[in-house]
Amino acid sequence: MTRLVCPFCGARELQEFEFHKTLPAVGADGEFERTYLRVADAQLSMEHWQHVGGCRSWLLVRRNPSTGAVLAIEALAGVTP
Amino acid sequence: MSARPATARRYSAWSLLRARLAGPGYWRPLWSGRKLQPAYDVVIVGAGGHGLATAFHLARDHGIRRIAVLERRLVGYGNVGRNTTIVRSNYLLPENHYFYEDSLRRWETLSQDLNYNVMYSPRGVVDLALTDDSLPSLARRGNAMRLAGIDAELLDLPALERFAPELEPRRKRRFPLVGALLQRRGGTVRHDAVAWGYARAASALGVDIIEDCEVTGVSATGQAADGVETTRGRVKADRIVFATAGHTGLIGSMLGTPLPIETHLLQAMVSEPIKPLLNSVYVYVSPGHGETYICQSDRGGLVMGGHLDGFPSFTREGAWHRLEDVVQGAVELFPRIGGVKILRQWAGTNDMTMDGSPIMDRLRYDNVFVNAGWCYGGFKAIPASGAAFAQFVASGTAPDLIRAYRLSRFATGHMLDEPGQGPFPVRL
Repeated sequence: MTRLVCPFCGARELQEFEFHKTLPAVGADGEFERTYLRVADAQLSMEHWQHVGGCRSWLLVRRNPSTGAVLAIEALAGVTP
Repeated sequence: MSARPATARRYSAWSLLRARLAGPGYWRPLWSGRKLQPAYDVVIVGAGGHGLATAFHLARDHGIRRIAVLERRLVGYGNVGRNTTIVRSNYLLPENHYFYEDSLRRWETLSQDLNYNVMYSPRGVVDLALTDDSLPSLARRGNAMRLAGIDAELLDLPALERFAPELEPRRKRRFPLVGALLQRRGGTVRHDAVAWGYARAASALGVDIIEDCEVTGVSATGQAADGVETTRGRVKADRIVFATAGHTGLIGSMLGTPLPIETHLLQAMVSEPIKPLLNSVYVYVSPGHGETYICQSDRGGLVMGGHLDGFPSFTREGAWHRLEDVVQGAVELFPRIGGVKILRQWAGTNDMTMDGSPIMDRLRYDNVFVNAGWCYGGFKAIPASGAAFAQFVASGTAPDLIRAYRLSRFATGHMLDEPGQGPFPVRL
């Protein structure tokens, strides 16, 4: 994994982007669960990233953490994580 | 014919002489040849430093004989063979510095305890301040350590120059050195020898070390687990220990118990061997390039590492720009190594917890134990972790030394936030 494709700017080097957090598991209702607990999945990781070295938009990134493959990147329109 | 092959020979001047006279065939494999049995008192998952040390102490100190250590790959394939070999106890929080000090004391005598040379080298660990505001925080950490009776010295520039002339502390730089915190008893230990030494010592006490055996599930009735499913069949166990650094989040998912852990990569690299240059281990945060630590191996290679890559991964690859950061940080401090070539680069998977401190507790079942969440500090913890966790598993009660590492601290608000960064596994 050396590049990410920003929906606005196109393919850019990985170091332009900053990982923010992994999304909590579906059904994690309480404040504690959302803040602290993670359901690890070797095939899929859903994360918030920011294109800090570019357009500064917030992104929802789906990746395979075992292979490093990026599965999908979309803009978090209207949502501030 | 005996079911179990003879154990490895003890090393001594006498055995070296015997080996010389006996010729080839005197030495035996350090561990090998054990068959997986259908049932055990304790099954330990993961033949890394923590798993093997726990097995060794369970067998030696608590008289438990039927122990198996199941390893998905090879002994020492994981983080025990991927770290940068540094040992130290320079922590700020009391729970951490008492624990790591216990570990450092055990490192001092480990070669004798295991009858295996782990090459403990107390060459000193030096935290360098490159900015005015980092010196007071080093002083605060040093004072906390001294209050606990741990050696720590705050060095001004003349003292730093005497201790480490190769740093050229008064040299004109973009970010000049301001001072340093020194722990003289810190240093390095040969990491592979730790895995092999514990494996050999545990094997000699009758522990079955089974490589190429992946655990795929835990079977249970009610609140008690009764065994593990493996790629080599089912194994019954009275107690199960997970010491699967870097993959404990997946163990949590396997048991249906989400954990406050994310897996992140930490890379390291080693240069081609050069003549002796570095006396000690240097750790610093450069305002330009982030964290770097550097020391020189006995073979002459410069061993370097830095901050986490910064996003979850199991790939063991490492991001290119982080390698660049580390090398730039190293060259900034030692411009003369600019022409040295990098020989190898690798990465380890780190269980990053939400407060930066480890977890040693039961997991879901009364007889399932987890030793995890060592973040990037697991190697130096091995001797204390093995001894304390073995006591926990054998007696069912966590010793005082590790009581603060309970899993429930995240829910009750008793976090041990050593880096002071809040509920995030990584802050860049």
